[in-house]
Amino acid sequence: MKYLMSATLTLLLLSLPVAAQEQGSLNVMTTVQKEEVFVNDAGESETRLVPANTVVPGEAVIYTITFQNVGDEPAGNVVITNPIAETLSYVDGSAFGPGMQLQFSVDGGQNFAAANALTVEEDGTARPAGPADFTHIRWVMQNELAVNAMATARFTAVLK
Amino acid sequence: MSAQLQATLCACVFIILCTTAGAVGTPVGTVIQNTATVTFDLAGTPVTLQSNVATITVVERIDVIVTRQSPQILVAPGDTGRAILFTVSNTGNGSEAFALAIDSLIGGDDFDPVPAVPAIYFDTDASGDFNIGDVAYNPGVNDPVLAADASQNFFIVNDIPALVVNSQIGFSQLTATALTGSGAPGTEYPGQGDGGVDAVIGTTGGEDADIGEYLVSDVVLNVVKSQLVSDPFGGTQPVPGATITYTVTVEVTSSGTATASVFSDLIPTYTSFVPASIALNALALTDAIDADAGEYDTAGAPRVVVRLGDLTQADGVQTVVFQVTID
Repeated sequence: MKYLMSATLTLLLLSLPVAAQEQGSLNVMTTVQKEEVFVNDAGESETRLVPANTVVPGEAVIYTITFQNVGDEPAGNVVITNPIAETLSYVDGSAFGPGMQLQFSVDGGQNFAAANALTVEEDGTARPAGPADFTHIRWVMQNELAVNAMATARFTAVLK
Repeated sequence: MSAQLQATLCACVFIILCTTAGAVGTPVGTVIQNTATVTFDLAGTPVTLQSNVATITVVERIDVIVTRQSPQILVAPGDTGRAILFTVSNTGNGSEAFALAIDSLIGGDDFDPVPAVPAIYFDTDASGDFNIGDVAYNPGVNDPVLAADASQNFFIVNDIPALVVNSQIGFSQLTATALTGSGAPGTEYPGQGDGGVDAVIGTTGGEDADIGEYLVSDVVLNVVKSQLVSDPFGGTQPVPGATITYTVTVEVTSSGTATASVFSDLIPTYTSFVPASIALNALALTDAIDADAGEYDTAGAPRVVVRLGDLTQADGVQTVVFQVTID
């Protein structure tokens, strides 16, 4: 019995690097999806999310970061940081995360602030930053992540 | 002694270099990887860890835009080989070949132009003008292959029926269709993109067309030539040494525009041109072929040439004066 359990554990550990990474006590996984319109059995058009393995310019992709406290102690000051690839343009207002404060960076992740507090230097003068200027998104959890609790951060970007 | 006047109804063509920078999408085959970073405190100790890598691959989006470049083309009844310039732009993100087609039977106009044979030409010399060096398009043989964001100019060429009348309009259309495929946006062509990736039809449906216009403008010109002889003895006898002053008036007496009108008059035999005697509307023109509107051209048979430009009824009478002496 004991031998069997250990074999199962080994298998689990082997498969982990593919699906997610479990270090410390948080399990973090990123998925990327896109919307697909399909016709349901009733003949109506519906939208569903499907894996975005391939995309074409102009297409929107949705990144979802799911994290779960798999340890035995609550995790404090949980912060998720995600870069926005150069080939993607962030869709304004698309980032959300329940119970999390949103921050953005316009300098490659050096500094973070609320979207309306950021400025960009252009021709020697500062102007308010727009979604095209964002290089990173950050979700700051307002409360501790309790043991076994799971949370989700999400944003949408369009392939340039 | 006949005045020759060529009111050339010429297609003024704009050459537009269509490299719509930035319109092109991320290149086919680009791999975009995303990794989220999480930091947190565990019993007061900061921990940083990474998520898995979420990967997407950019496949080919097929899009094309056809844009007419020529303004409305002014034509006369029975004209042949009248060209309209179009630009075909590959607005997808991969290399694509396109089939071209002409349609002169579309509705909404007054007459149907008649496609020449062949009817579609590459603007081979990139001059924007249809000329002898331009290569004919042959479907399936020299279908244009355009890189992502590249464009190529083409002419469609039509003859104008003899029985059209002033102010009638005829349409002719150029269509470009991606050879990989076309159809509803989102239609997939698995494995048919650049390098064997999937191809997906973009918002243009992989096919586009634009319409060119011919406007019948058979301008009526009223040309009157008169002469005044002045002999060396104070008389008006046409004897050797006498000077003949020719006055030619040109006027548009109908609607329409005589585009790029050129006055050209041969110097009569047994006479010699009087240097510095050309004038247009009482303004002297030099004999040299230079920036002004006229010259004494001796390249072929000696002649006086004056460019009158685009003339309409509103321009009124144009008066060209020059002199010869009798040999």
